[in-house]
Amino acid sequence: MLALEVKNLRKSYGDFQALKGVDLEVEDGEIFAILGPNGAGKTTLLRILAEGLGYDEGEVNVFGEPLSKKSARHIGYVPQESISYDLLTVKENLGFYADLYDAPREEVDNLISKFDLPPSSKAKELSGGLKRRLNLAISLLYDPKVLILDEPSTGLDVPSRKQLWEDIIKFRESGKTILIATHYMEEAELLSDRLTIMDSGRIIRTGKIEALKSLLGDRTVIHVSGILRGVDNLRKMFPRLIERRDSIRVHSDVDNTLSIVVEHLISSGSRIREIRVEEPTLEDVFLELTGKKLN
Amino acid sequence: MKARAIKGIVVKDLKEISREKVALFWVFVFPLMWVTLFGSIWGGGGEPITIDLGVVYSDEDTEFTAQDVVEIMENISIENAPIFNTKRFDNETAGVKSIKKGTINALVVFPNDFGKSVVTGKQAKIYLYFDKSDPQEYQIVSGVVKGFFAEFEKEMKKKRMEIQLQYAGLYISEDVMKMYNISLEDIKSYMVAGSEPLVIEEKEVEGTKVSPIKFYITSFIGIQFLFATMLIIGVGILEEIEKGTLKRVVASPATSWDFLIGKIASTFIIVMFSILVGLTYSRIVFGETLVPSLAGWLIILIASVFSMSLGIIIAMATRSIRSTTALVNLLSMPLLFLAGVVIPEAILPSWAKPIVNYFPLGRALKDLRLLELYHKPFVEIVGGVIYILAVTVVMLLASVVLYNRVVKTLE
Ligand SMILES: Nc1ncnc2c1ncn2[C@@H]1O[C@H](COP(=O)(O)OP(=O)(O)OP(=O)(O)O)[C@@H](O)[C@H]1O
Ligand SMILES: [Mg+2]
Repeated sequence: MLALEVKNLRKSYGDFQALKGVDLEVEDGEIFAILGPNGAGKTTLLRILAEGLGYDEGEVNVFGEPLSKKSARHIGYVPQESISYDLLTVKENLGFYADLYDAPREEVDNLISKFDLPPSSKAKELSGGLKRRLNLAISLLYDPKVLILDEPSTGLDVPSRKQLWEDIIKFRESGKTILIATHYMEEAELLSDRLTIMDSGRIIRTGKIEALKSLLGDRTVIHVSGILRGVDNLRKMFPRLIERRDSIRVHSDVDNTLSIVVEHLISSGSRIREIRVEEPTLEDVFLELTGKKLN
Repeated sequence: MKARAIKGIVVKDLKEISREKVALFWVFVFPLMWVTLFGSIWGGGGEPITIDLGVVYSDEDTEFTAQDVVEIMENISIENAPIFNTKRFDNETAGVKSIKKGTINALVVFPNDFGKSVVTGKQAKIYLYFDKSDPQEYQIVSGVVKGFFAEFEKEMKKKRMEIQLQYAGLYISEDVMKMYNISLEDIKSYMVAGSEPLVIEEKEVEGTKVSPIKFYITSFIGIQFLFATMLIIGVGILEEIEKGTLKRVVASPATSWDFLIGKIASTFIIVMFSILVGLTYSRIVFGETLVPSLAGWLIILIASVFSMSLGIIIAMATRSIRSTTALVNLLSMPLLFLAGVVIPEAILPSWAKPIVNYFPLGRALKDLRLLELYHKPFVEIVGGVIYILAVTVVMLLASVVLYNRVVKTLE
């Protein structure tokens, strides 16, 4: 059973095409990630699914039925920005949304203790992490079958992020379908069963992480750091090269890549600090598929 | 319609507004300010005025003098309050100076031979000076002072006529009377009528006395509709758009009608509460207030819904809190006067009267006043009420259409 099915979805903001024909299938019970850089159209896609944002063309089904106000109740949405009312307390906010969605009253207290929220603090007094948790609690009030999260860990400190990831994994265990948009590959890699790579309003490739990584064959990735010279010439030999401030990543598909790279760098006058040979990451897959860096 | 969703929106709005300082200003401080202002300016009204009157006269030893006139003036009073408070000046120049300084309202100058002229039956002159810098004050002061002298002149005429009548029999010959077949009594009555062709008898009728406090309480209700009501609902919706919470409400199972009914209900509760606060405050501070009848409350209800629809329309058309606030003020400030909210329709220029009758808030207030202040029966204003209701329904539908259009374009 497909939890979500999106076919040839198009959406423009004025002249700007944010979604250029997106196809997506999310299975019931899986954690599915949309990985894409800023401006890829992730939020736009999620808002069409979860907030009833209008679109120009295409088809959206939720558990086999066309998207509607009724099907909206199957979907819980945790947007990036806070949806709570600043002047109301945590409990009052949850109470309001419980009324709005006709959710059981007990859920308010259940969720407060489950997410360890301070019931009588005003929403405006909450930290970023707590605000996100309140958003999450609000979306779970009416026990939706699908939980959609937009950049859930952005702006969270490390412990809050870990806590959130644990929560998400628990939701899947309780049978929920989860759709996450993110531009953190660690997040996508750690959480998702399947993921899709999205760029400039298009789906580039969808699949299991291992399958996506295998697109690179048994290539390894060479990571060199130091004071590097001759990188531009090196790029001519290896077009898919990621350059950072004091390091580069080069995909190698031939056995002697490592020696070619190192010799070239040294003969150009580089001072190498470290050389590592790594397994490819999602970022390398992304680079391979789009020719772009993820961040 | 989902009752629980509507209840949720109302409760949420009431909690929010009770914690919002700016809103509390509009709901409490603003109305109390108006009631206080109105009450202290016009409250207790109808106190008889006293005119500070300068007098200049010379001492004469005739039987009747200017001083006698001044004494008469000093002794006139209405409801035990003297009308004239006289102050004697040595000469005209000193008196005029005082008028200019504003220490007296008017100056009466009796020439040196005033008493002598009166006693010898000649024409006596009086010179009056008024301060014209404040036209309204001038009207009142000159009216009272001239009125006094007109009355005084009449009395003098009567006295002289009485003397003439005493002697009439002596100088009109019997032959003449016979010739014209007229009696001495007839001649006397013609003489009296000749000197005083018209006798005006003033009879007091206790009409419906409209207390200024009650009038201004209806003004205050109108002000709440012109400002607070429109702003609370208009800005309230825009804030939900800005903060992004409206998107969530729209995505929820609650419909546009649920949301708008909730907003209208919460705004209504807040505005009614502020009106009740104003009414109670007036009762406590000025000892007088307005207690609307059921029909009165009906008019208030319709007017508030009209006002809210207008607020929603403005907010949805501008889609900005700033523009909404500016536009509401721009619209409501002139309407405060032109729609007869704070001034009676009677003193409005004729071109503004249609505004009172056709702008629903003006009409609502007019009808409310006819009902509560002038105690007209409801049937007399029912036409107006139906008119307001019809316009309100149209406005409400328009506001829902506009709201739906804005919601569709939320991006
Ligand atoms: N309301 C809007 N009006 C006009 N353009 C918009 C609007 N919302 C988004 N866009 C544009 O559409 C494109 C996709 O935006 P979207 O927010 O969906 O991207 P995203 O993948 O979520 O990016 P990010 O990682 O930055 O959140 C961007 O170029 C953005 O500028
Ligand atoms: Mg986004």
